Amino acid sequence: MNELSEVSDIDFPILGKPAKELRALGNARHLSLSDPEWAAIQAHFKGLKREPSLAEIETIAQTWSEHCKHKTFTSPIRYTEGKKTRTIKNLFAETIVAATEAVKKPWCLSLFKDNAGVVAFGKKWALAFKVETHNHPSALEPYGGAATGVGGVVRDILGVGLGAKPILNTDTFCFGRPDYKGALPEGAHHPTRTLRGVVAGVRDYGNRMGIPTAGGGIWFDDEYRLNPLVFCGTVGIMPQWAVKKEVKPGDLIVAVGGRTGRDGLHGATFSSANLGADAPSSAVQIGHAIQEKRVLDALLAARDKKLYGSVTDCGAGGFSSAVGELGADCGARVRLEQAPLKVSDLDSWEIWLSESQERMVLAVPPKCLKALENVFAAEGCELAVLGEFTKTGRLEVMHHERTIVDLDMKFLHKGLPRVEREATWTNSHAAKPAGGTTKKAGDALREMVGHLNVCSREWVIRQYDHEVQGGTIVKPLQGVRHDGPGDACVIWPHAATGDMEDFSCFAVGHGLNPDYGRIDPYYMALAAVDEALRNLTCVGADPARAALLDNFCWASPEDPRQLGALVRAAEGCAAAAKGFNVPFISGKDSMFNQSKDEKGKELPIPGTLLISAMAPVPDGRKAVTMDFKGPGNALYLIGRTNDELGGSLYHRILGRTGGEVPKVNPASAIDGFKALHAAMTRGHVLSAHDLSEGGLALCAAEMGFTGEFGCLLDLDEVPRDPRIYSNETLLFSESPSRILVEVKPENESAFLRQFGKSAKSAMVRRMGQTTANPILKVTGLEGSTCLEEPLKELKEAWQTALPKVLG
Amino acid sequence: MSVKIQAANVHLIEVKLRSEFNDAEGSAALALLREQGLTNLKGVRIGRLYEVSGALSANQAHQAGKDLLCDAVTQEFRLVPAAPAPMNGMNFWRVEVWLKPTVSDAVGATVAEAIAEGGLPRPASARCGMLYLLDGRAVKAQVEKAVAKSLANPLIHRVVVTEAHP
Repeated sequence: MNELSEVSDIDFPILGKPAKELRALGNARHLSLSDPEWAAIQAHFKGLKREPSLAEIETIAQTWSEHCKHKTFTSPIRYTEGKKTRTIKNLFAETIVAATEAVKKPWCLSLFKDNAGVVAFGKKWALAFKVETHNHPSALEPYGGAATGVGGVVRDILGVGLGAKPILNTDTFCFGRPDYKGALPEGAHHPTRTLRGVVAGVRDYGNRMGIPTAGGGIWFDDEYRLNPLVFCGTVGIMPQWAVKKEVKPGDLIVAVGGRTGRDGLHGATFSSANLGADAPSSAVQIGHAIQEKRVLDALLAARDKKLYGSVTDCGAGGFSSAVGELGADCGARVRLEQAPLKVSDLDSWEIWLSESQERMVLAVPPKCLKALENVFAAEGCELAVLGEFTKTGRLEVMHHERTIVDLDMKFLHKGLPRVEREATWTNSHAAKPAGGTTKKAGDALREMVGHLNVCSREWVIRQYDHEVQGGTIVKPLQGVRHDGPGDACVIWPHAATGDMEDFSCFAVGHGLNPDYGRIDPYYMALAAVDEALRNLTCVGADPARAALLDNFCWASPEDPRQLGALVRAAEGCAAAAKGFNVPFISGKDSMFNQSKDEKGKELPIPGTLLISAMAPVPDGRKAVTMDFKGPGNALYLIGRTNDELGGSLYHRILGRTGGEVPKVNPASAIDGFKALHAAMTRGHVLSAHDLSEGGLALCAAEMGFTGEFGCLLDLDEVPRDPRIYSNETLLFSESPSRILVEVKPENESAFLRQFGKSAKSAMVRRMGQTTANPILKVTGLEGSTCLEEPLKELKEAWQTALPKVLG
Repeated sequence: MSVKIQAANVHLIEVKLRSEFNDAEGSAALALLREQGLTNLKGVRIGRLYEVSGALSANQAHQAGKDLLCDAVTQEFRLVPAAPAPMNGMNFWRVEVWLKPTVSDAVGATVAEAIAEGGLPRPASARCGMLYLLDGRAVKAQVEKAVAKSLANPLIHRVVVTEAHP
């Protein structure tokens, strides 16, 4: 049906119009379409000899949005580094996907194609993991934006395969400093308000759905003050038979869950543009967690009865996206008048594109409909048949007998023109540190523990229910008083599996450090992967079975320097995956995170990469926490310390620039992690904590004040680059891949045996012991005490920093 | 399809913590408003507002307030009369924060369902709002500005500021 007269609703005339006019039309409707995209749409409809309808233009804009098509990662890039220029055809395929294919793990059950990545968990079960960003909505309305971010990622997990049960939520945020005193542009929220709202939104949605929120972190930097980053993650568990989904022609298109309203229009296209004062209020919504819980319960009951063949969530783009994706390989015919509405005055295109929350779309064999209706009715959850999947290869949408969309699926999903972008990368960072002041080691350490990027997150964590479902066995707050900083959480999913005899658990950890990215995004990516794996290893997870997720948040990729840095980070991810021999299973990118500041100047965020990692803990009873367990135990440092203070917390505190950014050697790092894991599974390790921001000094302080035991460290015993003669470098260097480990004296030999030959080299060495006196005491290279700090005072500074600035 | 339009009853139900209880939420709101420059404020008390429209009589709205929306031990409720309350200079302010009609109101939707499940006529709609009672001298424009910066988001909220009786 391609005749001009046969597609109705409101026409959206574009044929013969110049690019400038089309651009203005697009801007007025927040379509975020580029000139080449408009040209491709014009050419398509010229070939059809008709004008498009408004609903068709909206459908194409949504499907082709950065949010849905990840154009930056999948379009060609002309990349220049120094004097060399090369063309990258598809950044995603050539880095993340290629590296994952190279490491080839048979336990990866679904990669990159579904709503989340899926890996095997034992023989019967599978774990699905997805991390989404909800940055633009959270900047506009922190509470609603963050809450619907959680709701959205939970629906991703419900919509992966035939649906997984959510068993863990994670949250990672980047905000401006809460004590920011400078001016803000009209309409922008102060970072404190954003933080409070976002935390409340994540809290209310996750808690009300009965999902523990037990992993994550916060990074403060004033360059996030106009563009906060909100990463919401969910892990789900499903039987392995439910990983595969299939839509068959003749299946009914069934919408379940919330009603459709005017809320959330243009979310997908809005998130593909710079954030400005003209953001549409309709792009923001308030979620309804109880409604989503009903959908969850009904959907999983229907899954177990095998009442549908496929499912996906209504996210950005609403029905348009969900039906378009499910029917991409066959075709779909929709009758919109069947959709339950919140208000009766919605235009056809609004019903089709609305991003109202808490909705899912299923492909249901007609014979199963009655039983499906009964399951959803039992949960008080609405269900409506919107149409059927066809064999036509077309997306046909009707509303009250009028056709409002009639598009070829091939054009919709493969017609997006690929435009080459320019990218440049120049390493302009000085290798030698310069500027800043000097501080005594003790003063620097006291400042570090109270630094916003280090201090206790208890104010946030206590608002979340991390105990619901009763399986959080390593919790976000650890130690004798349950208030120390854990490396990762460990979840025992017995409530979902129903098996109290199986102690198989899994751990989730993260890595993020945009300060390294300011120096070199390639090493930032490697360091983030290393940190995430280190965190997993510290709690007893198997690093050889880790799976990674990448979440890139960047400023405008239309700036060649920004895009160059993004290429560098993606290549760092690929190098990390190959080097550590771990696959990426899922990921997401969020571009255009920049806004005009109070002076009208563009303020881009620092290029930010969150790496999330998940790995099985073979026996949860052997999981390890980070607090010292007693006096007189040996302390071993795994990993080599180099002079790598570039981008470090120590340099930030001194106001120093330059220096070598930490560089990961994945091969030796993974050897150390595997050896430590082997020692943990044999019960030789009492506590373990990774060295990250603040280096060795901060790591030992945190282990000490969390366990309420002190320690004596000897810097001369630190495995290190022999050219280091500075105590401060050994105390505060942020060389990656290092872990401080507490071992009972009687287990030292057995512990060292796990390291094989490397124990004799510099990779692991005994460099201190725990003490009953809660003092951190360090002997310097010259043999005298170079640091002696009471842990009680350090803990107080660590605990009070965030509440102080939040008031 | 014919649509029968009926004049709807609209009831505004106000639920507050009893005055003998410490209002922690109110204290938090007070701190936020002071940060925004309302330094003369002495106290803030918080309440919830439910605007219920439809076929409910005043007695039925009263019953919904009593049985469903109010915890009789710690809270008190009243049906807010349509007539304006007596004014008292600039010393007391009543601030109502409502979600705009285009924004989904999950709590309101739940209240509507709960009223129907409680055996009363199903409301045509129910909207939920926040009530802030401000004790302290201020100018209306100052209050509006401070509320927009701390307790409400103009993008999704409608704010009504009126002088109030203590």
